[in-house]
Amino acid sequence: MVARMAQLSLFVVATIIGILLVGQLRSQARPLELSTLTAQELSSLIQTLSARNVDLTDGLADLREQIRDYERAELQGRSVLALTEEDLDGLSAFGGLRGVEGQGIVIEIDGAFNPTAVNDLIHELRNAPAEAIAVDDVRITARSVAVLGTSAIEIDGVPIGSPFTISAIGSPSGLRSAIERPGGILTLLAQSIDAVFTVTERTSLSIAGTQRDLTPQVARSVE
Amino acid sequence: MTRRRPVPSRFARRQWTISIAGALAAIGFVGAAQLNSSLARQDFITSAQRVLITEAEQLTRQQEALRAEIEVAEDRVRSFQEQDAGSRSALELLNQELAAARLASGLAAVTGPGMVVEVADSQRPVPVDESATNYIVLVDDLRDIVTALWASGAEAITVAGGATEGGPPAERLVATTSIYGAGSAILVNAVPLSPPYRIEAIGPEGLRDRFLAHPSYIGRLEPRIEAYGLQFASEARDDLTLPAFIGNTALRWGAPIPERN
Repeated sequence: MVARMAQLSLFVVATIIGILLVGQLRSQARPLELSTLTAQELSSLIQTLSARNVDLTDGLADLREQIRDYERAELQGRSVLALTEEDLDGLSAFGGLRGVEGQGIVIEIDGAFNPTAVNDLIHELRNAPAEAIAVDDVRITARSVAVLGTSAIEIDGVPIGSPFTISAIGSPSGLRSAIERPGGILTLLAQSIDAVFTVTERTSLSIAGTQRDLTPQVARSVE
Repeated sequence: MTRRRPVPSRFARRQWTISIAGALAAIGFVGAAQLNSSLARQDFITSAQRVLITEAEQLTRQQEALRAEIEVAEDRVRSFQEQDAGSRSALELLNQELAAARLASGLAAVTGPGMVVEVADSQRPVPVDESATNYIVLVDDLRDIVTALWASGAEAITVAGGATEGGPPAERLVATTSIYGAGSAILVNAVPLSPPYRIEAIGPEGLRDRFLAHPSYIGRLEPRIEAYGLQFASEARDDLTLPAFIGNTALRWGAPIPERN
């Protein structure tokens, strides 16, 4: 009787240990702990999510308009060629294959700089969100990163001298406030880098397509 | 004559006592750790923060719904483009160009050889006099990994976060992708991700060797792995399949410059 009781007790104890251990191990995965973020960090997160949702809503509206255009073209017996050409232009511009013109900002940078700072600035502009970015004349694509070359910073194999400019197409005021906000990227860079930044809003700006061949060599499209 | 059960020896009883005491101690330890970690998460949440957290969660759900709708709408547009509309050869040519542009821009799912990187927070206890942020994966770590991968010849990259099953889908990196930090939260394509992070890249042979020799890895991430015990693993793979980017591709502030022939 005593032995059976002891076995039963051990079984219960082992079960409780198991449950607690699973709970503990799961908590090690650190799910996105919004509760650990400060009010300021949460506000920044909400701002980013809101801006992206507006962007996605606009994109969805464009796609629905495109679908309506195709449906109208079908009804009217028109060719879908023209619409597909427009789509090709848009996708090529998005991917950096084609030039883009529009409103935006130009940042002139004069002084000592490093590749990490260039990449950080690019990420900040993308988050703002910028629709097209160029460093001097080098169009930034998904695959473009600043690295330290033999004698200077290089992007896509092109040396970037000093001073240099970063051009970004997007909402001029939105881009500007994103990088100039208190505690933002320019404030952080000013603490670690000896450079002067001059930001100018532009109503008309032109960014060329990439010179780099982005055709993958090993990646194949999944049909 | 009655049979009596053998009386456990004093030694056997002591063994049982020790076992049960050990088990209870283990429960106490694990329970305390569990309670501690859940208290840490719930401590100091003000009502204002709770409102913000609810809003962030709602926005994340809204984003998921929008992306799902975009995926459906894109499929519908593609089906129109692939229809025969009179001039078949011209349309076929155009669709080939469209497919090539999608492939080069990250808007098509791709397959090929490459490598996988996994990085997660350190499991080491944080010393009292040190910042806990040193022991978690930071936005700079992900940016360094991605920089090293692109610079090593990667042709396509995705970043995923959280559980492999049931977690958010992997985010394909495109020209407008930002890897952005808000406190300890990391957003990729404005999607909040959590560790462990899994980065998959397709690229030519030797991608992993070049990645592990790149200054962004050696100079910045590797020292953090060694100093703080960030969990890191990488592996070359013969065959990976990466999803296409799902999101807005339309320009609002700019327009494509017409090609001059």
